[in-house]
Amino acid sequence: MERKIIETDILIIGGGTAGCMAAVEAKERYPQLNVTILEKAHIDRSGCLAGGMNAINAYLNKGETPESFVRYVRSDSCGLIREDLVKTMSELFEYCVKKVEKWGLPILCDDQGNYLPRGRWNIKINGESLKPILAKAARSAGAQVYNWVAVTNLLTEGDRIVGAVAFSLRNGTFYVVKAKATIIATGGAAGLYRPNNPGDASHKTWYCPYNTGAGYAMGIRAGAEMTSFEMRYVALRTKDTIAPTGTIALGVKAPQVNAKGEQFMKTRYAHLGGDGAPTPYRTYGPLMEIKEGRGPVYLDTRGLTPEQSRELKSAYLDMYPSMVLYWAANNIDPSKEPIEVQTTEPYIVGGHCQAGYWVDGDRRTTLKGLYAAGDVSGGAPYKFVSGCWAEGVIAARAAGADIASMPPVTVSDEQIAAEEDRAFKALRSQGKVRYPVLPTDMEARLQKLLEQYAGGASTYYEMNEEMLQIARQRLAKFPADFDQLVANDLHQLMKVHEIMDRVDVAQTLVEHLLHRRETRWPSYQTRIDYPERDDVNWLKFVNSRLDPKTGKIEVLTRPYEQIIPGDRYKP
Amino acid sequence: MPVWVDPEKCNGCHGASQPPCLRMCPGDLIVKDHTANKAYLKYPEDCWDCLPCVKVCPEEAIEFHLSYQFGSKGAKLIPHIHKTHDQITWELIDTQGNSETFTIRTKLMPVELDEKVEGGTQTLDFSI
Ligand SMILES: Cc1cc2nc3c(=O)[nH]c(=O)nc-3n(C[C@H](O)[C@H](O)[C@H](O)COP(=O)(O)OP(=O)(O)OC[C@H]3O[C@@H](n4cnc5c(N)ncnc54)[C@H](O)[C@@H]3O)c2cc1C
Ligand code: SF4
Ligand code: SF4
Repeated sequence: MERKIIETDILIIGGGTAGCMAAVEAKERYPQLNVTILEKAHIDRSGCLAGGMNAINAYLNKGETPESFVRYVRSDSCGLIREDLVKTMSELFEYCVKKVEKWGLPILCDDQGNYLPRGRWNIKINGESLKPILAKAARSAGAQVYNWVAVTNLLTEGDRIVGAVAFSLRNGTFYVVKAKATIIATGGAAGLYRPNNPGDASHKTWYCPYNTGAGYAMGIRAGAEMTSFEMRYVALRTKDTIAPTGTIALGVKAPQVNAKGEQFMKTRYAHLGGDGAPTPYRTYGPLMEIKEGRGPVYLDTRGLTPEQSRELKSAYLDMYPSMVLYWAANNIDPSKEPIEVQTTEPYIVGGHCQAGYWVDGDRRTTLKGLYAAGDVSGGAPYKFVSGCWAEGVIAARAAGADIASMPPVTVSDEQIAAEEDRAFKALRSQGKVRYPVLPTDMEARLQKLLEQYAGGASTYYEMNEEMLQIARQRLAKFPADFDQLVANDLHQLMKVHEIMDRVDVAQTLVEHLLHRRETRWPSYQTRIDYPERDDVNWLKFVNSRLDPKTGKIEVLTRPYEQIIPGDRYKP
Repeated sequence: MPVWVDPEKCNGCHGASQPPCLRMCPGDLIVKDHTANKAYLKYPEDCWDCLPCVKVCPEEAIEFHLSYQFGSKGAKLIPHIHKTHDQITWELIDTQGNSETFTIRTKLMPVELDEKVEGGTQTLDFSI
């Protein structure tokens, strides 16, 4: 294979929301440093932002402060978050939003020029082109961008991370990128559980189906400490299209109703805040309506004015256009019929929940030279685009500052050869393996296993010790089959790496689900054998670390620290 | 077929090796048949329905279809990009032919018809 060796100061893995912002910050603060982005798609339209966005969901509207934000996020996440991380990211919302506005993002304003809120923490944007705007900023700042380069692993030197390896999807070049500091920004993981839709719509998921947990998996393999994988994200989304519902619930203030027309959040969950209950309960509530025979569940949009109805459609066109075509194809008029909702397959997303790298205040991971930002980083839920930007900024500042004291990078030839072999093995196995396994075959087996034994939609996301033990045992058998995976071309080779990454993520996930013996986030994490929240024993973080030498995952806990005083269950 | 390249309308972006539709797909699902000089969606089952490909095609050659499991065929959603690059007009047509349009502000970045790929695009022999 052709080899390309790149030496850089700061390597950014994943040129998405967090990655592009990190690149700009690094180049602006430290213009003398080389900044390199490796992106498996094309940064103009990659990751979660590909389709566009219609709101910035984490912003301090008038009267709000970092403290009030922490209080809200803490109660929304059922009393357990890294308050330090949530606070520092919120302090940078304004900085990031102003920057992106300057680059050309249209933000909706009132007559006085104030941003138009959409709910307490959101502002409305016309963000159809948000991703190309960020990509242009990263390029103009001077970052060196490599598109269609899929990263397969981190490079290590003792306990330090010194870059990464990757392959080109266009010509199979093997990239060896040696870096003094590496920022990982690959987003979260979709495709672990069986998707909502079958057949030709299996990628009609809410979370970006091309974010397959690569960043988590690389860190796990290198021995990074991970946190809170058990806090999965199960979203409440529109039926079939799996479109975000905030656009309806916040945008036009539609309440949830069951088949009988009852506003069940107001009646059954009043003590938790009704329609404003913590996000897990807004998934759990409708789920219980369906389980107990009162479904389907809807967002009641009946009575919208024609202007509101058009506004709703416009908002979806900026972010999720298929929603609008779906209504047209089914002759649905949202002002005349309520919009049916459903719950999604579980995702691992550190930006909505808090699964990801265990980081310090500067987003340094537990591995020297490795920083994490965005959905891949843990402990700080409620990030959304602006929190991902903020973390990109924090990580870039820290990486740039740390570099001065970092020794030069050396990588052994053996490591490079072993990584090259690992990267291309499935291509070379083509025609040589007696019983070949396609990545889609392994994907189906993984998704079925997690679906049935690790709290998938078909068991109402509930799980117990016995089910999880089965998941653990069966998952342990997957890695032995990695040698049988085959790829016909470079695109399929990418899919081989995606499924291997998801298996690694799944193993860590199941260890976390087994460990937390309480139910803290109903539906995200429902341990039917420990149905209550237990602050006495479990007000702490469940973390894990794989020992790269033995391959064994060690689970540990870390204490929770309250920084902002007040009732943790009140916003 | 979630999105479909109309071969009558696609001009291959004048012999481009990496035309815009192919570049803007976050899943890298679109390829170009260089003999026919046409782009097509090679992996329809992996499509996210996110539409950058549709919006970026200068010939409006890519149609957006919903998977049949989501509803009847025949409804259409067509984005028209304004020459000024600061607006998109979406044309929505339901199954009965009723149409509605939405003009929305945006900030489109100019897109080149082709882009050089680092290291070229030659096909390699992987049998070694
Ligand atoms: C459909 C949808 C709608 C949303 N709407 C909103 C909204 O309106 N407002 C809001 O504030 N938030 C919204 N969010 C949330 C927000 O978009 C995400 O939290 C945020 O964009 C995540 O940023 P990120 O940088 O972590 O990941 P991404 O922006 O997804 O970036 C990850 C990047 O890593 C790349 N990558 C992955 N694996 C590899 C690999 N192995 N090698 C190289 N590159 C790799 C990907 O291609 C991608 O470019 C939405 C999310 C979704 C999915
Ligand atoms: S952008 Fe349009 S015209 Fe150009 S190759 Fe793609 S489909 Fe064809
Ligand atoms: S709709 Fe999105 S995922 Fe599907 S082909 Fe177009 S750009 Fe790719």
